[in-house]
Amino acid sequence: MFAAIIIKYVSWLRALPKSDLVLLGKGLVSPQTMMAIWEVVCESLLHRRIFRINKRLGYMHMSLAFGWFLLIVVGWAETVAYLGARWVPLQGHVFFKYFAALNGINTHIAIFDFVMDLLLMFVLSGVALAWYKRRNSAKLGMKRATQHIFFDKIALTALWFVFPVRLIAESITAAIYGGGGFLTGGIGKLLSMVVSDNILEWAYEPIWWIYSLALGVFFMAMPFSRYMHIFTEIPLIFLRHYKLRPQDKEKSYDNFEVEACSRCGICIDPCQLQQQLGIHDVQSVYFLRDRRYNMLQQKIAHNCLMCGRCEQVCPVGINLNTLRLNSRTSMRNIPNEGRYNYLRGKDYSMGEGRVGYFAGCMTLLTPNTLHAMEKIFTAARENVWWADKDGGVCCGRPMKLTGETDSAQNMMDFNKRLFKQHDITTLVTSCPICLRVFREEYNLEGIEVLHHSEYILRLIQQGRLRIKYNAEQTFTYHDPCELGRGSGIYEEPRAVIEAIGKLLETEHNRKNALCCGSSLANTVIDDKQQLSIATNVAEEMDSTGAKTLVTACPLCKKAIARGTRSKVVDLSEIVAGNLR
Amino acid sequence: MKHIIIIGGGVAGMQCASELAQQGVRVTILEKEADTGGKVKNWHKLFPTFTPASDVLSGLRHKIAKADNITIKTGCEATQVTPNSVRLASGEELSCDAVVIATGYTLFDARIKEEYGYGIYDNVITAADLEEMFNKNDVRLADGRVPRRIAILHCVGSRDEKVCQRHCSKVCCVTGVKQAIELKQLFPSADVFNFYMDIRMFGPGYEEMYREAQQKYNVHFVRGRISEVSPTIDNRLQIKAEDTLTGRPLKIGVDMLVLLIGMRANDMNTTLETDSGLQRQASGFMQPKDAFLGNAESNVEGIFYAGAITAPKNVAEALCDGATAALRVSDWLRNK
Repeated sequence: MFAAIIIKYVSWLRALPKSDLVLLGKGLVSPQTMMAIWEVVCESLLHRRIFRINKRLGYMHMSLAFGWFLLIVVGWAETVAYLGARWVPLQGHVFFKYFAALNGINTHIAIFDFVMDLLLMFVLSGVALAWYKRRNSAKLGMKRATQHIFFDKIALTALWFVFPVRLIAESITAAIYGGGGFLTGGIGKLLSMVVSDNILEWAYEPIWWIYSLALGVFFMAMPFSRYMHIFTEIPLIFLRHYKLRPQDKEKSYDNFEVEACSRCGICIDPCQLQQQLGIHDVQSVYFLRDRRYNMLQQKIAHNCLMCGRCEQVCPVGINLNTLRLNSRTSMRNIPNEGRYNYLRGKDYSMGEGRVGYFAGCMTLLTPNTLHAMEKIFTAARENVWWADKDGGVCCGRPMKLTGETDSAQNMMDFNKRLFKQHDITTLVTSCPICLRVFREEYNLEGIEVLHHSEYILRLIQQGRLRIKYNAEQTFTYHDPCELGRGSGIYEEPRAVIEAIGKLLETEHNRKNALCCGSSLANTVIDDKQQLSIATNVAEEMDSTGAKTLVTACPLCKKAIARGTRSKVVDLSEIVAGNLR
Repeated sequence: MKHIIIIGGGVAGMQCASELAQQGVRVTILEKEADTGGKVKNWHKLFPTFTPASDVLSGLRHKIAKADNITIKTGCEATQVTPNSVRLASGEELSCDAVVIATGYTLFDARIKEEYGYGIYDNVITAADLEEMFNKNDVRLADGRVPRRIAILHCVGSRDEKVCQRHCSKVCCVTGVKQAIELKQLFPSADVFNFYMDIRMFGPGYEEMYREAQQKYNVHFVRGRISEVSPTIDNRLQIKAEDTLTGRPLKIGVDMLVLLIGMRANDMNTTLETDSGLQRQASGFMQPKDAFLGNAESNVEGIFYAGAITAPKNVAEALCDGATAALRVSDWLRNK
């Protein structure tokens, strides 16, 4: 087992691109290493993040990981205590009781017996929960659990057997040879009273064999099953502290993220494709599994809204969206790059000013937003350079989302040159999709990129925009995925709304906000399915009783408007409509 | 005397009422608006013959006025329907022996296609607005000028999955051709463009009218939908589209844009499905019992359909449906 794991890790590390190796080298001798060690303790042993998401699941994982870890450590100490000060391998304790009993060594040290039994009980409680979860995951707060593949099922079964069998084995040992703590000793005493000695002695060897077989099967299967995550999370935590990240194109580092997935299935419940449309085979857990075993299909890779709701809850913190994107990039058809030649020398921009405004394709299709922005700029007496009012080039993110990173680069280069040429210092956009790619991938040094919600709030705070407040007006707000989870902008739009009227929150908001369903990232679901998600989102918004449904993304606006007869508007529209 | 309630006083409902009345049945027409005539009372001339819509309506009204066994209740909205009773919004319940539903359709709200700028730019109007202008004999731009270049856009809210209207509204193509001709008659020097996906000339005389529009009136037809509309500095409208026959994107400035809005199913159809057990099609229009031999019957005994309640239809078809429904109702009453 260790050989397989080490071969894997070494080959992945060797295949890391140079830039990553540099990061790794720099990080190794920095305080990051200590922080990583601390995180390993918190996460790999104590499972703090799962606790935060779901206490019962957290306990289950912690009891198994931390309990087993302590069993090994305390067991090792116990073995050392008997065998004296000599080299004892960590796994030395595994059959300690067996050999100790056979060799007639007196194994009674009450404190060890007690602690070991306590730990065994701790682990067993976790196993019991795991059994229960398999049968009835909803009771543990998971509406749907992962559908496992055959290999995982073998490893899972073996793991389930390890500890109960150990309990029986140690109890029988205690029954025959005496000893054991309150648990094994107690059951041992009971057994020796109820069951005849002959049977106990007959069962003694086989039960220890079953125990060792279960352990053996589990460890053999481990490097090739979901349980690879137990060890992989540790190097992953270190690498992450050294600032290694997955990127546009697949690379060796991704292996650590992919195999650190425990297939716990926590990502399944929040997925709206599952909740709303009953699609059960595309969620991150299945995507990562398929990618790991090289059986990923386009229709799985592309059937994802990239809303980030799963990433939000992933206890291992895997960059699920980026991994999916770089899978898409690897699977794409290579297009004819010559088709972007027409971009050369084009410039449709107009106006002059240090503040640039980029409407984006979707805002051009929702002209109410564009006009509201015109009004706002005029009211604030801002001189604006209009990048694409009369037509322009897409920001590139939609192409990126489908994996066409090279095509996207053509558009990104075009826009970047345009922004630089016109000497702007601030770039405002009303589209969160554009915002995200400008901020994350354009490297616009010297240009501050703002979402219009941030810009408008700034104008209000600077007193350049005077707004009428009316508490009678009620609004509810939908967090767009790219703005909220994608760019961390939650409070600015809310502050703007609260300057105009009363804001009523929806049940799922901020980090837990729902996706409107029309995400550009999903090219698999059809309009009807998009509509079904949109209707669900609109219902939640309508149920707040607010008169106007507000969002801050032109795509969300169009999507939600399809699902309701209520008025759906962009943030800028309510601002422009309430200027003093 | 048997009593039949007809919900909807449009052309289908009126036709059905007059036919039933002739067979000695007592009829009540429930009309939610202040006057009968339905959508047709807003239209100017009907394709392909350019017959004034008012002629059709006055003919129907005349027939109804002659019959003494027809009651018309205007300002009455039906909220719940069973074969033997109709509940009104006022709470009143009327009993009857059968019901004919002839509530027609709803015009697609062009504001949903925000990119076309209806409700944003003054000179973006719908085909229904243009009919009203024709009726008032007052076709002008918002600032009072005469339009010199006009674009007519087909399929707004029809055959458009993005707004959940997959079906074809069928009559918009020919309406576009008709309105183009009328505009050319009014403004012979104006350029009139039709932007279309397909031109579907399904009725008698339609194809001939389409040909005449091109040959006699020099109306331009461009195959391609408009993607977006924006204002120009001189307050005209700039249209971006693709001419899919030449494969080129195009931008033109126009003074006026007419949106040929489609027919969508009434919101009330959902209530009919849930409360009355009537079947609906995926398009939202009601499902007749059979597409051929039972096209005026519903899946519920004693409830009948007439007109565009079951699908987009032209005026002639709605009139025909009204008569058919009357026949089916009297057959059914006789055999009950």
